[in-house]
Amino acid sequence: MLSSGPTVSALEVRNLKKSFTEPAVDDLSLTIQSGEFYALLGPNGAGKTTTLRMVAGLLEADAGAVSICGIDTARDPIEAKRVLAWVPDEPMIYDKLTPLEYLEFVAGLWSLDPDFARFKADTLLEQFDLAPHANERCGGFSKGMRQKVALAGALIHEPRLIILDEPLTGLDAGSARQVKTVLTDLVAEGVTIIMTTHILEVAERMADRIGIIAKGKLIAEGTLTELQERASAGGLTLEDIFLEIVSGETQASALGGTATLVEGAVA
Amino acid sequence: MNAAATSSALLRFTHHELRLGWRDWSWLFSGRRNRTTRRALIGIAIFAAGLHLIAYLLLSQFFANGGQLDPIAMTLISVSVVLSFTMILSQAMESVTRAFYARDDLDLILSSPAPSRDLFLVRIAMMGLTSWIMSVMLTAPFLNVAAVLDGPGWLAGYLVMLAVSLLATGTAVLMTLALFRTVGAKRTRLIAQITAAVIGAAFLIGLQVVAIISYGSMSRFSLFNADFVAAYAPDADSAWWLPAHAVTGEGGPLLVVVFVALLFFIGAAYTGAVQFRRIVVSALGVSEQTRREKGTYRPFRMRSVEGALMHKEIKLIGRDPWLISQTLMQVLYLLPPAVMLWVSFGSGTDAAVIIAPVVVMAVGQLGGGLAWLTISGEDAPDLISTAPVDASARLRAKVKAVLAIVAVVVTPLTIALALASIWGAFVTFIGALMAACCAILVQLWFRAQANRAMFRRRQVASKASTLVEASASILCAGTTALVAAGQVLALLPAALLVIVMGIAWSIRPKTA
Repeated sequence: MLSSGPTVSALEVRNLKKSFTEPAVDDLSLTIQSGEFYALLGPNGAGKTTTLRMVAGLLEADAGAVSICGIDTARDPIEAKRVLAWVPDEPMIYDKLTPLEYLEFVAGLWSLDPDFARFKADTLLEQFDLAPHANERCGGFSKGMRQKVALAGALIHEPRLIILDEPLTGLDAGSARQVKTVLTDLVAEGVTIIMTTHILEVAERMADRIGIIAKGKLIAEGTLTELQERASAGGLTLEDIFLEIVSGETQASALGGTATLVEGAVA
Repeated sequence: MNAAATSSALLRFTHHELRLGWRDWSWLFSGRRNRTTRRALIGIAIFAAGLHLIAYLLLSQFFANGGQLDPIAMTLISVSVVLSFTMILSQAMESVTRAFYARDDLDLILSSPAPSRDLFLVRIAMMGLTSWIMSVMLTAPFLNVAAVLDGPGWLAGYLVMLAVSLLATGTAVLMTLALFRTVGAKRTRLIAQITAAVIGAAFLIGLQVVAIISYGSMSRFSLFNADFVAAYAPDADSAWWLPAHAVTGEGGPLLVVVFVALLFFIGAAYTGAVQFRRIVVSALGVSEQTRREKGTYRPFRMRSVEGALMHKEIKLIGRDPWLISQTLMQVLYLLPPAVMLWVSFGSGTDAAVIIAPVVVMAVGQLGGGLAWLTISGEDAPDLISTAPVDASARLRAKVKAVLAIVAVVVTPLTIALALASIWGAFVTFIGALMAACCAILVQLWFRAQANRAMFRRRQVASKASTLVEASASILCAGTTALVAAGQVLALLPAALLVIVMGIAWSIRPKTA
């Protein structure tokens, strides 16, 4: 077990490394507490998705350790998966199944009680306005609807940690608000959420803590206020802070060093 | 849009269609994603050289013996033309259906200022052209060799094949339109794909069934004898012989065939193009409703993890019209052995010797396709990978799904065979099981996860696995036939099968 102390973190990542042709994730460590809404930001190709895919068990790390709700993913991957949900940026669902069948299938994979599964499926279909389309095959759905089906599928087994990669892409304003409300409610219930997004306003409004990643390293982390304090001037928006930090990192890399604002941020 | 802009747009669209067509071909012959022209051309050259050699071996003896175009020869030519027509028609129906339902650029076409009627005319013309090139790839070696051995008149066959391609493409357009009118946009796709499969297989199967009933032989060539031709072939001056005369280079028949085909194609293409926008719009608006099954249906949530996975695979396969049509075609190919069984009922083991390899081959083919779909084809890999399911349980469920479908296809035939010969039925069942298992193992060893939509291109993704799959299927069939005949020689194909599978295992990608 990686976790220590009385409170078990929802996610602990220690010295995670992954290289393809170049290092994609470079000695990254991260701790996220239960019930926290964490936004992981970074420019394209920074290593956000690679990091999250390793956490979700979809990619093997070259080095490092991941613990989900106190469960070491290397030692007990099946138990870790029971409490985890992963929603990729491109909704991967079956075109030939209906939303209801899809949710029931996911419930089957997580071995949920049949009655509970049906109740939960109906609730989620209502919650995401999918009930009128419950018996239509997903093949004809818009990207937004597919995203909602995928999201409903991720929630059916009541996970304790939800990882969302760009969950609001392709959603219209109404659906985006719907999803945001669902996510906020889940956090209020004690569920932990990690989300990557390019919509900085969403991160600014919803996240308890924000991590900024560049070139595979976590270069800044904290609440919005903490990040504002660390940035050169006060009263900045997250977008200003993000651009300042990322450009600072790029310049530092060009000079051969690494500027980091993560000073003891990782416990 | 003015006339100049329209013709410029059409010209560019034609170029675009030609480029897409060429990329499909180069993909097929280069077998690589990062296809190169050089590699594709080498592939085509090797393929053409091989076919020319086969054509020479088959035709040199015929022309050495005088090359008489007697009724049997004319019948063979006519049958080849009809066979080409049915094959192209089957392919064209598939292409036309895809043009209405599944082309990714439909939105672009419909929203562009270029007239959609003209764009679709170009697309249909390209279908005709592609069909012609495809048929010529197979017939050209025979025409070229005949031209070298007997005279250039045989080169008229190229024009006949063009006429056949135009006729088949035009027929496909009209048939699809008729389906839209009669069964509606919602069902046309499924019925068109099934019709395409049936048309593709029906002529060959029909010949075989006639051969079985007339001569008790599974060989279609047993029909091409003097007695049969004299009894059933049309009179020498019948219009049925026109295509055959045209192939041999007779000017009059050639002109008639090409002219009629061209006229028909223009009429059909225009009729289709005029209705294109309306049909596409109605096809795009189709949403596939699924009624909740009642009675004995058990929903996913009531099943075990393995059961849910298996049920998912079977459901997805059952809802795939293209796959259903392919499976139906495999089943259709089992029809001749079934007729053979019926005709030779009572002779017992002999029938099993003939039927067993056909069944095993068909199961090998079917199993290969199903195994790819379930083991390699996965539309939600992230969901499956993040589910708390042991990897071995996942694979077990997928393998069970393949075996269950194969069992549904093979069991009725085995039971029928058991009425004639218990031993034959037993051997056939084991042989079929062996073929299905080999196909599954090949997929397990050469697994390359892909979207299910990649099914059509699965065979170019790994040449090694395709070769192993085909070889294993043939060797299983050979072993089964020899075992059914009680021959010790069965050990030879069985040993070869073990060797082939051993080689496949040793060369499997390490990541699989």
